[in-house]
Amino acid sequence: MGKYMFSRRNFLKLAAATGSASMLAACGGGSDNGGGEAAGKGIGVMLGTNVMSLDTDLATDGDSFEVIADCIDGLMQMDADGAAIPALAETTDISEDGCTWTFHLRDAKWSNGTPVTANDFVFAWRRIVQNQGEYAYMMSDIGQIKNAPALAEAILAGGEADLTTLGVTAVDDKTLEVQLEVPVPYFDSLMYFPTFYPINEEFYTGLEDGTYGTSPDAFLSCGAFKLSEYTPGTASLTVVKNEDYWDAANITLPSINYQVVGSSDNALTAFKSGSLDVVMIGGNQVAAAEEDADLSEKLVVTGAGYMWYLTFSQTEKNAQGGMLANQNLRLAFTNAIDREALVDNYVMDGSLATYTAVPPQFAASATTGEDFSADQEKFKDYIGYDVEKAQKYFEDAKKELGVDSFEFTLIFGNNEGDEVTKVAQAIKEQIEANLSGVTLNLQAMTKAERLDKMQEDNYDVALTRWGPDYADPMTYLGMWITNNSNNYGFWSNEEYDKIIADCTTGQYVSDYDARWAALYDAETLVMQEAVIAPLYTKANANLINPSVQGIEFHPVALNRVYKNTTVE
Amino acid sequence: MKKYILKRVAMSLATLLLIMFVLFVLVRIMPGNPFPSERMNAEQIANKRAELGLDDPVLVQFGRYMAGLAHGDFGKGTSLYYGAPITTVLGTCINNSFRIGGLAILIGTAVGLALGITAALNKGTFVDAFCTVFSILGVCVPGYVFLIFLQYFFSYKIPFFPYFFDTSRFLFSSILPALSLSLFTMSTVARFTRNEMVEVMDSDYVHLAESKGMYGNMLVTRHILRNALIPIVTVLAPLIVDLLTGALVVEKIYGINGIGKLMVDSIAGEGVDYNYVLALGILYSALYIGIMLVVDVLYGVLDPRIRVASSGEGDA
Repeated sequence: MGKYMFSRRNFLKLAAATGSASMLAACGGGSDNGGGEAAGKGIGVMLGTNVMSLDTDLATDGDSFEVIADCIDGLMQMDADGAAIPALAETTDISEDGCTWTFHLRDAKWSNGTPVTANDFVFAWRRIVQNQGEYAYMMSDIGQIKNAPALAEAILAGGEADLTTLGVTAVDDKTLEVQLEVPVPYFDSLMYFPTFYPINEEFYTGLEDGTYGTSPDAFLSCGAFKLSEYTPGTASLTVVKNEDYWDAANITLPSINYQVVGSSDNALTAFKSGSLDVVMIGGNQVAAAEEDADLSEKLVVTGAGYMWYLTFSQTEKNAQGGMLANQNLRLAFTNAIDREALVDNYVMDGSLATYTAVPPQFAASATTGEDFSADQEKFKDYIGYDVEKAQKYFEDAKKELGVDSFEFTLIFGNNEGDEVTKVAQAIKEQIEANLSGVTLNLQAMTKAERLDKMQEDNYDVALTRWGPDYADPMTYLGMWITNNSNNYGFWSNEEYDKIIADCTTGQYVSDYDARWAALYDAETLVMQEAVIAPLYTKANANLINPSVQGIEFHPVALNRVYKNTTVE
Repeated sequence: MKKYILKRVAMSLATLLLIMFVLFVLVRIMPGNPFPSERMNAEQIANKRAELGLDDPVLVQFGRYMAGLAHGDFGKGTSLYYGAPITTVLGTCINNSFRIGGLAILIGTAVGLALGITAALNKGTFVDAFCTVFSILGVCVPGYVFLIFLQYFFSYKIPFFPYFFDTSRFLFSSILPALSLSLFTMSTVARFTRNEMVEVMDSDYVHLAESKGMYGNMLVTRHILRNALIPIVTVLAPLIVDLLTGALVVEKIYGINGIGKLMVDSIAGEGVDYNYVLALGILYSALYIGIMLVVDVLYGVLDPRIRVASSGEGDA
């Protein structure tokens, strides 16, 4: 049993993941080094990558989303536990059939003094649908906003698309009505995702084309902070408290100075020097930090949300003529991997060995509050580290395929974190040691090349990851339906497709508990057939200046929220 | 001379045009996707490609790109700083890299020349030995190692300089990276200056000048250093381009948004950003070609023999 359970240490660490890290950070007491920024001046925070865009239509990465969310409020915001609570929408009415949501906006202002109106949402949402970018699917497939799927189809086909038919209407300045194709049980939690944030139409259209969000002058805030210093590509940017924010009375943090830091070694020294108050360190530094009396009390491990897994190409053009289409061979692989060893010896940052297709700690039932994947033993018949079982599956696979030896290539990104190369090497060693007759070659490449190869179905096995966009198991399970663009293995199962369809637009959309149970059935199919081999759920090892309290960490949508952050 | 310069300018422009075309083709056959999306489906990606005309024949695309360039339009990023005009991002990065690189060139050349001259004039002494050791160290130790050393002592142990680059204190926060970047230039210039000067000091015309009673600063600056400078200028030219175009690791460590870091992000970031790779490739090429052109002209200024030869060529 032990190998499936989270260690006490990991459990305690992950306790902080979905809630506020402030409690742990506060235990540290006074600091004699961190807090260079914190001494009444705001805080210095590390960003892992440059902010790519402050335009909600173009931003795709967590760091960009974080800064956008500092400056712009959605209809809803996240509380410390990740639940949706009112933000720009003061109250919400939901129709009996769950298909009409009416948001009543509070009095709020943009940073140029104009009021935030329902039309700001209508304009921003239509723009997302019109441009059909990375997160347009949040409007159609996920949000199920009326006519969004049909409009997307028409736009992509190059035809006429009347955006006024999109199911979002400004009834008046203070009332926004949203109509859905089908009830979406987690619709309120989508409202804190930046894709659904408003943009002031008059301000936007008054700007030169392509300049929105490229400077403080070309960006309007209606959130807790406003942009003070920023240019695209900058390694440092600053947001300062927005005195016109509707909840300004409860915002005490005067400013956040973000700094892009390229290496975790540099982050650690910057933290020690007091230049930064919040940094992320790498797994190889965590052990050292834990042994350091001063640093250990400032170490806070939080859930990063995304899950690393192996995907297997099941088409004939790859893997020795489609050998990995054999279920027993995939099951042999997934049972030959020691995930605990991966996280303890190579990742080393508090990441969790994962034995479910939906990772733990991000999707809880609205009716029972139970984490969808709290029980990591539920699929122990199909996944785990069991060499004997793996070899049995392997023997069956060899018989079925009539082949005694296999040579596959595992592709992985060499620019996706320090630990990824080590994990790939460890998987090779484990597979080759436990399944005699398998040769797993490693091929390192950039993430862009890896994605390219996966999308072109030109790979055997790939080490890849997925981060949740919203707090529902569907953000993971939706990927394995036939022809989904993320179904890189090209697995297809009619029963699975039907369950997902029933949960998305069919019989379960109005029955929350039945849907939840059906999603579990779907996950069971994925695990039974080893469509993917889940490996670990990533954590972030943060060092936080103890004088900084109340940073809220979340594994989904917005990783860090500062509205309740205070500096002693 | 004028004809010679015009000919060199024309050749430089033709070279640049050729490089641009080769770059344009190479970028399009690079592995990696200009729209590295995990969430867009095939139709969405096809739509984005069509918007940028990436499915048109390469020559058509090149023509369109050149027409845009004629209006100063380098396009927009596809996988990097999406949506923002490249000129905006490039302008900021060039500004940072050029100013820090320029400072590094100034420090490197001035200190390098001073060290080289001192060593040459004190040939065989302790000062000469020190200069040699410094030159070897400076060439061997990468700039970023020196930066880590400086950052550790002067930003962490003694928190005098900022730990990261800070645009609001541009000059002050440029000192550490500029010093680090200047180390290689400083050593190279010192080594070449010392060796060239020692050689020139042994030449007949210097002995003749000395025998005529010329000595001191006049001899060093007018007859020795001037002749020794020609090979130094040759070495310095590519170093200047290297410094101006930023240094990836130094920029990454010190949090500078410069063009070295931008180049790597545009190739090995989330995706391959065609427009950024092209814009930076053109910038690098133009700088190299421009600097080499300036060097050719400088030869003439520094060495009357070249000036005479080139004017002879012009008269011919």
